[in-house]
Amino acid sequence: MSTFIARRLLLLPFVAVGVTLLIFSLTQLLTPAMRASLYITDPKQLNALPDIIRKYHLDQPVYVQYWEWLRQVLHGDLGWSETAREPVAIAIAGYFPATFELALYSFACILTLGIWLGTLSAVRKDQLVDHISRFTSISGASLPTFVWGLLLLMIFYGHFGWFPPGRLGLQADLFVRSSRFHPYTGLMTVDTLLNGQWWLFWDALRHLVLPVATLTYFLTAVLVRITRSSMLETLRADYVRTAEAKGLNQSVVIDKHARRNALIPVITLAGLLFVGLLSGVVITETVFNWPGIGRWGVAASQQLDIPAVTGFALAFAGMLVLGNLCADVLYAVVDPRIRLK
Amino acid sequence: MRIASWTVRGAAALVAVVLMLSLGVLVARGAGEPVKNPDTFVELQFGDVTSLDPDLAYDIYSAEPIWPNVYETLIIYSGSSIDKFSPMLATEVPSLENGLISKDGLTYTFPIRQGVQFHDGSTMTTDDVVYSFRRFLLQDQAGGPAWLLLSPLLGVDSTRDAQGKIQVTWDQVQKAVYAQGNTVVFHLKKPFAPFLTIMAAWGGVMPRKWAAAHNDWDGGATTWQKFNNPKNEDRYQFNHMDGTGPFMLQQWDPQTKEVILVRNTHYWRKPAALARVIIRSVSELATRRLQLQQGDADLIVASLNEQSQLRNLPNTVMQTKLPQIAVQTLQFNFKIDTDGNPDAGSGKLDGQGIPPDFFADIHVRRGFAYAFDYTQNLNSAYAGQGILPHGPIVQGLLGYDPSIPTYATSRDKAIAEFKEAMGGKAWDTGFKFTIPYTAGNAARQVGAEIVRDDVQALNPKFQIAFRPVPASTLNSLLFSHKGTMYFLGWFADYPDPHDFAQPFLASAGYFPVRGGYHSADADRLIDQAVSVTDPAQRKALYKQVSMIAYNDLPYLFLVQPTTYFTMRSWVHGWYYNPIFPGQYFYTLYKQ
Amino acid sequence: MSAVRTTSPPLVAPGAAPAPRVQQTTWQRTVRRFRQNPLSMLGLCIVVFFGVVALLAPLLAHPTERNPYMIPHEGYSSDPHPPGPGHPFGTTEEQFDLYYGAVWGTRSALLVALTVVAIGIGVSLVLGSLSGYYGGWMDELVMRVTDIFLAFPGLILAVVIVAVLGQSVRNAMIAIAAVQWPTYTRLLRAEFLRVRDMEFVQAARALGDRDLVIIGRHVIPNTIYPILILASLDMGQIVITFAALSFLGLGAPPGYADWGQLINLSHNWILGTAGDPFQFWYTLAVPGTAIFLFVLGWNLLGDAFRDIFDPRQQGSR
Repeated sequence: MSTFIARRLLLLPFVAVGVTLLIFSLTQLLTPAMRASLYITDPKQLNALPDIIRKYHLDQPVYVQYWEWLRQVLHGDLGWSETAREPVAIAIAGYFPATFELALYSFACILTLGIWLGTLSAVRKDQLVDHISRFTSISGASLPTFVWGLLLLMIFYGHFGWFPPGRLGLQADLFVRSSRFHPYTGLMTVDTLLNGQWWLFWDALRHLVLPVATLTYFLTAVLVRITRSSMLETLRADYVRTAEAKGLNQSVVIDKHARRNALIPVITLAGLLFVGLLSGVVITETVFNWPGIGRWGVAASQQLDIPAVTGFALAFAGMLVLGNLCADVLYAVVDPRIRLK
Repeated sequence: MRIASWTVRGAAALVAVVLMLSLGVLVARGAGEPVKNPDTFVELQFGDVTSLDPDLAYDIYSAEPIWPNVYETLIIYSGSSIDKFSPMLATEVPSLENGLISKDGLTYTFPIRQGVQFHDGSTMTTDDVVYSFRRFLLQDQAGGPAWLLLSPLLGVDSTRDAQGKIQVTWDQVQKAVYAQGNTVVFHLKKPFAPFLTIMAAWGGVMPRKWAAAHNDWDGGATTWQKFNNPKNEDRYQFNHMDGTGPFMLQQWDPQTKEVILVRNTHYWRKPAALARVIIRSVSELATRRLQLQQGDADLIVASLNEQSQLRNLPNTVMQTKLPQIAVQTLQFNFKIDTDGNPDAGSGKLDGQGIPPDFFADIHVRRGFAYAFDYTQNLNSAYAGQGILPHGPIVQGLLGYDPSIPTYATSRDKAIAEFKEAMGGKAWDTGFKFTIPYTAGNAARQVGAEIVRDDVQALNPKFQIAFRPVPASTLNSLLFSHKGTMYFLGWFADYPDPHDFAQPFLASAGYFPVRGGYHSADADRLIDQAVSVTDPAQRKALYKQVSMIAYNDLPYLFLVQPTTYFTMRSWVHGWYYNPIFPGQYFYTLYKQ
Repeated sequence: MSAVRTTSPPLVAPGAAPAPRVQQTTWQRTVRRFRQNPLSMLGLCIVVFFGVVALLAPLLAHPTERNPYMIPHEGYSSDPHPPGPGHPFGTTEEQFDLYYGAVWGTRSALLVALTVVAIGIGVSLVLGSLSGYYGGWMDELVMRVTDIFLAFPGLILAVVIVAVLGQSVRNAMIAIAAVQWPTYTRLLRAEFLRVRDMEFVQAARALGDRDLVIIGRHVIPNTIYPILILASLDMGQIVITFAALSFLGLGAPPGYADWGQLINLSHNWILGTAGDPFQFWYTLAVPGTAIFLFVLGWNLLGDAFRDIFDPRQQGSR
């Protein structure tokens, strides 16, 4: 097991270099003037471009720039992000928890809802319940997230005023910025509890409802389909049929025997889903004005903020390798056959 | 249903929690429409602050918190006027009458107000004022606003030459800005009529000791070169502010895109009514609008094509048709680099492209000028919110002259001009090119469509396409002279005709450098007009300049747009001055 | 798609030509299965409907611009107008006709989705077969390269690619394909691994058949079905991703007949005006329904394929 983990971890530098090299080599297609545009806001500043190109060494060959960047990183400095107006490392450390909080709650809801509906659909295959659950989940995935987001915002904020956009309300925001509040994890729902401020906790939770609902609706379809098909296969497996033939109650069969095996591909998917979530979160963050890494990532990509993009390419590579590792460990837990290998 | 009973229970619990939360919220809200957060003002816009350093920031989103809310200038525009000044950190506005402007127009003396406190508690002295202006001149970040004062005071547009070497000396700077008793004296290179308009908008005052204590220049003669051309992040003033204004910076959070200002209780005038101001950037219009409707925002900024959705929202007031000292233009590139330039097609006059000097031909330009439907553009792209300009000097400026002729849309005249274009060949061979426009800019997209539709209708051999490009690509195209025709806007740095004549028509101006237009007459007239002080004389000179713009037609002046703001009806004390980059929160209160 | 497979397809006598017989029964089985399941028929009908609309687009909505994919518009007024004479589905902002957009959008949706899927299948056939069939260091290399591509959030990678290459429909397709190909490759590789060790393949090898022949005749026909299932489920996903790129200003240019672009244009009108929040319902409903039906159709079709071609269910009933 430990050699398995060690081998997987050795992957990390390889993938990291690979991803950053990929991004950097894409930028080879950009002229220095395009990259210098990051530092100006209006065409009236175009006369300053030669000065800017000189200042930021943008006319050097790309491999030289990559090597400079790599050297910087090995000294622990990820550089400055012009789009974040902050050092890249601080930006990632700040934006990531916000997105992670959103993703975590959405993930939990998606898993719960998806597995439940998928199981329901599988057991009641081709009945009305099956059709309804599939239709609803497909409708969620068939329109871009901003549509659901705006509709939810219109109804639950515009009309009822229950769930506002943003991460915190005005008073809560000011309190969190004051010295009376100590940030621990960067996750509002966790930190507020750790600070013992219940009203802050409710406020943070209230602001989470709509973005989480939007993301959940959008991504549940995938999990429903996978769970359903996986469950269907498992239900037809010999050992399940045997259990049924023996007279075991169907729900017991499902809870005890089928679900565990059905969950194996779900775990595979969970990993891909998490990365997919990080993509889908971009639009949600824009609509709900959530200070997350998706929104920043897209802005940085669009404005060609190379240090930012390569910086979080690095971060994501690391996250994915670790995530895959967790998934593999989970496999071993769930499937004894893998453990024995 | 026994299936997944634990998930059912879990879901039920979650629903119960959510219902409880919302109930609690409802109870807390109460009824009616009382003023929400009466001492805090929330403004929602959609741009990002680049830097809070008054000497480096050169865009309106950065400038809004800076001036005049946190940093102040020596003089300021009176109320909504753009040509009358009031004293601010100076006690008198210099003029010829009170002798504070010398007869030769080369020396301006500002008596400095005593007893003004900075936000850190120290008292403002002439030393701080002198330091602040020298810093404005010498930090001179590439692409920054330093040239506005470098030009009149030192006669150069940059402290560095084309190779990046420093080209100004300490001696020159010392003689240009210095303290004299309780006054600060500015010495110009040549008479410069707009000097006071620049001084009324640029040059926020900060304490020298505070800057020096935070790794910035100490004001010394030998140390300033090290601090020249900084990167934004090199300066403490990037995200820390210490000025004299009615508000202090509490925090700038670039992640939540908020600037939070708090009231300065030691302000040298009566302290502001608002205790706190929050300026937040929200890119999604729907979110901005809903927050305004709910009272979570007090004022929102939106684009012209979004105005129809914000009309008649309950409990809101829309301040509309606010004049702007700005103009939107369509520009020609007189010398296109057709090498590897798909926008220029084949690069030859063969019906599949345009040659490099295509737009250098006056008949081509006139053809476009007569073909374009300006009224249609104003009504569609700008929702009718604006006026049609008469040349580069826009309404509100000295020298604006509605009698200057314009090119009225005329299909026949357009055809006649195109028939003479390129020695008569253009009509038979036709041409083909692409207009790059800033992606996401609906007004420019409509403008491009109008160009295409109006010109293609004249002759089936005329083929015009347009493509949206990100700002970085457009900048790159303009920089390398690959643009064909392009839409550019110009917003006043200061409300004087020189700020429009020079960038559009002087050979060294921004746009001629890009497009290749050149006129010795214009150069001469512009130089003359800026050094003369008599308004009548200047008017006459600018009229000649406008006529040159009409005859030479280097650009199509499309629209002078107006703007609007939507705010809650509980906002009072609001007033508008076109030169303000954003709101002036000092006079605002909520009731 | 499940990773747990313990049975193999029906055994075929070595030496016989398996392909034609397998396909014949498969075809019969396919038709029978389709007829049995109403949902599968619905999915098929929807997809066929879209195919027909796409083919007949020039007849259904006569193009007036030089580029038929650019939606015609009368005037430039920025507010959308409700359905009325001349505009059966209404117009979106700047007077783009929604009916034309919906019809030609079918073409562009199918074009984009099929192109991306084709690229994905093409690349995965090459890489997946190299990786799965030969194994060894080639397998390691391909797997690590897919790791690298999968390590990056898809949308952001697509944004970087389009930002660098420039905005156009072609570049958006390249960007989406660059994000999708690893999934196809991984899947195909897994299938190759599975089939490689089967008896009839080993028999063919023993008989001395060339590698390429084995791959072409035996391996690919048995592995292509999971790919088809993935592809049909992916068709809807690709259109959604394309719409997301349009939202970010990186997909099709405004005025291009593309459902995602039309939904993007409806973006500012979803809230309606002060008195009537649903005033501009048609700007969202028209492209929204189109996309929904498209995704639904392909989903149902993909599920139908899976039901039919899943070997576990081949033997039963």
